[in-house]
Amino acid sequence: MTSHAQARTSKIADIPLRRRFGAIWWIALGVSGALVLLLGYTLASVTIFGVGVWGVNIPFVWGFDLINYAWWIGIANGASLFAAILVLRRHDLRTAVNRFAEGIALFAVICAGIFPIFHLGRPWLFYWTFPYPATFQVWPQFRSTLTWDFWAISTHVVVTSLLWYVGLIPDLATLRDRARKESVQRIYGVLALGWRGSVRHWAYHQRAYRLVAILVLPLILIMQSTVAFEFAVTLVPDWHETRQPLHFVATGLAQGLSIVLLVAVLLRWGLKLGHYIDEGDIDLLGKLVLASALVSGYLYLDEFVSALLSDGLAQEATFNRMTGDYAGLYWTAIVYSVLIPQLLWFKSARQSTIAGVFVGVSIGVGIWFDRFSIIVGGLQTDYLPSIQRTYSPNLAETGLFLGTIGLFSAFILLFARFLPAISMFETRHDEHEEKTS
Amino acid sequence: MTSSVYGIMAEFENPEALMDSVRAAKRKGFTRIDAFSPFPLSDLAEEMGVRTTIIPWIALVAALVGAGIQYAAQYWMNAVDYPLNVGGRPLNAWPAFIPSTLIVAILWAGAATLLGLLLILRLPRLHHPVFEVHGFKRASEDRFFLCILSSDPLFDDDEVRHFFETLSPKAVREVPACG
Repeated sequence: MTSHAQARTSKIADIPLRRRFGAIWWIALGVSGALVLLLGYTLASVTIFGVGVWGVNIPFVWGFDLINYAWWIGIANGASLFAAILVLRRHDLRTAVNRFAEGIALFAVICAGIFPIFHLGRPWLFYWTFPYPATFQVWPQFRSTLTWDFWAISTHVVVTSLLWYVGLIPDLATLRDRARKESVQRIYGVLALGWRGSVRHWAYHQRAYRLVAILVLPLILIMQSTVAFEFAVTLVPDWHETRQPLHFVATGLAQGLSIVLLVAVLLRWGLKLGHYIDEGDIDLLGKLVLASALVSGYLYLDEFVSALLSDGLAQEATFNRMTGDYAGLYWTAIVYSVLIPQLLWFKSARQSTIAGVFVGVSIGVGIWFDRFSIIVGGLQTDYLPSIQRTYSPNLAETGLFLGTIGLFSAFILLFARFLPAISMFETRHDEHEEKTS
Repeated sequence: MTSSVYGIMAEFENPEALMDSVRAAKRKGFTRIDAFSPFPLSDLAEEMGVRTTIIPWIALVAALVGAGIQYAAQYWMNAVDYPLNVGGRPLNAWPAFIPSTLIVAILWAGAATLLGLLLILRLPRLHHPVFEVHGFKRASEDRFFLCILSSDPLFDDDEVRHFFETLSPKAVREVPACG
């Protein structure tokens, strides 16, 4: 068993320790890097010239900034929620998926955080949302959802990054021990914090890890609801709905799962990890994505029925999203996030890399259109004719959005290059359990 | 009981052998022992009397303190120090104070648990005597080690070596003390 286990996990460890990583990785990193430069450029322009460079104007004070924020947060929360549930259920899938699902959550929340900070207009003053004893003697207004958001994003960043790092420590120790070059040994050695695999340490490590995974569950539900409350507590008719948190949590989970599926099939193909993320894992992920897409479908139905039951203004506002100038967004969302994922009913689609990429991207696109539809479509029928206009993003906003996609993919590529994408100690543990049972 | 030795370490090929050895060491009366493994062994931790019950307590206390501070801060800032009348709504708007109270409770609990974990484990540390042992690198891969520390009252170099030989380990090595 031992030499077998070593052969298996050493394959995961040897990926980050490889000297060369192939042309595709460099090309992908180059493209992502170019997009990150674009991100820097668009952020600099909005910092220097102000939010006037964006296409937002009354009534559309929330445009791409909030659409993309809500979208990235959905990915972060969906992926986190999924990872936490797997840990709690001690599900076998966690071995294959958890490490990068938590990574996805962390990278997505970093991308999400960029938008509200720059949306402030004076991003260098973002710390004003934190209650600090200011010389002008005012405090943040805690009855505002925007301050809840500040706590939610910062908590998500702190807790997810700590959880991810603490989970990585034992695997970093394996990399330290397998590295041949001394400089590499030193880097992984410092990152592993001197982990030596003491049985006592393992016991504490596992207890703390599971406990924080439990904490992530309510955090995600509260956080995603907070994002939804930002809309629900306003007076905009289409937003002012108690069903908003449910809509955001459930569609966010679909989105997170779809990105986990997308990254899973790409890692499996790119790093040749078919042995660790096996067909059963991908099949199960596909079924979960399908189930979550059905839940999204149910929620679109619920939106329609809620509108039928509500009073004139709210009904008119929701129907306007379905039939008005922005109807295309609404129906695109349904096609991409509910109808296309139905492909996964077929076993051959669940096991195909191309179909996995297609459906993963499709749900991501669909929920993006859903957020666009909610935010812009909800604002469109204003009740002063003088400000009845439409919104479309301009180049500065599009560049910012593409830039965050580049940042996210650059993070994923660097993660796949320098860290073990699969939890090695969980893999060893599972193999041992399989052998003894 | 020489101070230049940290302990004596035996290497095993599988967790079952490590488990048997820990049991045998305990029967022998050794109390200062440490075991190393490439993955968590909950049965062995239990056998060695590791109690992790402090972890949920850290989380609970931190969560309560964090929630208390957050709620009190919101109340004091918005109802006492800087009261702002928004359409006659109550200043102590407790439903509006709940979301960030819960979130900050989780922030405190999560950060305290994971940072407390490092504190309990006395990590990070740059070096440890066991890293000097030849072949110990495989403790992070596929080998299992048992170490009897020289601080054990029953520690005697020859006796420990003799004891280890009865367990048929893969190797027995001395762990030199640091500096």
